[in-house]
Amino acid sequence: MEAPDVVSVAKGHPRYLTRRTGIRYLEMAVGAILFLILLQLALGYDVLDGGFWSRFAGTYARGFIGTLTYTAVVIPVSAVIGFFGGWARVTRHRVLSWPVAVFVDFFRGIPPLVLVIFAYLFGPDFLPQQLYSRGMALTIAALAIAFHSAAYQVEIFRAGFQSIPRGQMEAAEALGMSRWQTMRHVILPQTFRLSLPPLGNEFATVIKDTSLIGIVGASEMVALGQEFNQQVLISGTGPLVWIFAVWTIIALTYFAITFLVTRLLLGLEHRYHTPGLEAISL
Amino acid sequence: MIRVEDIHKHFGALHVLRGITLDIARGEVVVVVGPSGSGKSTLLRCVNLLVEPDEGRVFIDGVHVNTPDIRPEWVRQQVGMVFQSFNLFTHLTAVQNVTLGLIRVKGTDKDAAEKRGKELLARVGLAAKADAYPAELSGGQQQRVAIARALAMDPKAMLFDEPTSALDPEYIREVLDVMTALAREGMTMIVVSHEMGFARGVASRIVFLDEGKVLEEGPPEEVFAHPKNERTRAFFSKILR
Repeated sequence: MEAPDVVSVAKGHPRYLTRRTGIRYLEMAVGAILFLILLQLALGYDVLDGGFWSRFAGTYARGFIGTLTYTAVVIPVSAVIGFFGGWARVTRHRVLSWPVAVFVDFFRGIPPLVLVIFAYLFGPDFLPQQLYSRGMALTIAALAIAFHSAAYQVEIFRAGFQSIPRGQMEAAEALGMSRWQTMRHVILPQTFRLSLPPLGNEFATVIKDTSLIGIVGASEMVALGQEFNQQVLISGTGPLVWIFAVWTIIALTYFAITFLVTRLLLGLEHRYHTPGLEAISL
Repeated sequence: MIRVEDIHKHFGALHVLRGITLDIARGEVVVVVGPSGSGKSTLLRCVNLLVEPDEGRVFIDGVHVNTPDIRPEWVRQQVGMVFQSFNLFTHLTAVQNVTLGLIRVKGTDKDAAEKRGKELLARVGLAAKADAYPAELSGGQQQRVAIARALAMDPKAMLFDEPTSALDPEYIREVLDVMTALAREGMTMIVVSHEMGFARGVASRIVFLDEGKVLEEGPPEEVFAHPKNERTRAFFSKILR
């Protein structure tokens, strides 16, 4: 079977999935890879070197799994807090909106690095003694990153909620829909659609922010990569150019994770696309 | 059919409605006119309790509805409303806009609702646009979808809040035609509008509102030709030509 022509796909689902966007992604990927190959040639290292991988593979696998795990925890936690926080920000109940405003100011105003350090050092003090462990301290550090991102996402969702014209709520009420039905069937679907593009941005940021948890000793790519490089430098476990290879691998891995997650969100965006709404189409 | 009795409404320091009493019989078409800020929209919203009156009573079919015993959602199902800015749900197609209330509020099953939705769209002349999204429709088409959406709930009466004032002139006619047809079929309607042609042709009564009070009411011929009140006269001299 022939692959569907992009143009005919575009006919069925107007305005997205055009040939040009496809080409743009391809250009980006090819560009990134070409750049790294050139870098390799100039600096004289090889990311496919067997000797390098026999040493690095274990470290890399642990780091990769660590980064994936932290990402898989931080993104859902932050999104859930962000969504309900954004909702709380737009309610008329001060008891709900005010604490969230304080939350946002606090976690958005402090550097994530400082948050991680404080969470790791002092977070466990808030827990009962029997839960006190290093793993728990690292989990709290991860939550600090989640909260930092959640603060941004609260604002993303708040903007999403507030972009729905008030008249639509009135119209739903005039049909006899309850507050909850109005929320569920009129407001929320539109809030989600409007929040997706900035959410993609925020997720892309937070994936890379998980590397900050490495500062307090979490097993994730950047921290483990750096540890590996230290050994190369100090104990001479391999040639110095391996350092470049390590960073190249790490960069490519982050790129791949970010690319996947943002593409997933873009897919959702297309699914909930409303014809005729966008002023400009790609 | 609809009776409002001495209703008052304040918005902060603003006393918007100052004791309005109106009786609307079944099948009557009442056109409410008056300068901006006179409380016309608020009066309409008090009828379906989108705005809760501070004082006074609202009756629908003899039932006193602005009491804690009655769910406002129930009241709103009895009285359909059409807005100045259409207020269609932008993420739903025309037919989905029409059927949302049927499915979610009345519990009609999806197929029956869809069938009914298409009938109603045909009735407002938009059978071909069932699957179009609001952003793909003209203002006049959107307003007709909004009328179909309100009709889907089988209301006993319809409220129209300046249904044509947000429309380009070329689309006003099509909306007024639908409203006229509705009136001829015997729908009870309260219409806030300055479309004097519509008022003359269709209204059974004109109500002139100013500063939250009814200054004058009567059959259109009479009110337009011989306004008794000084303010009514001044107002009509500005909008009638």
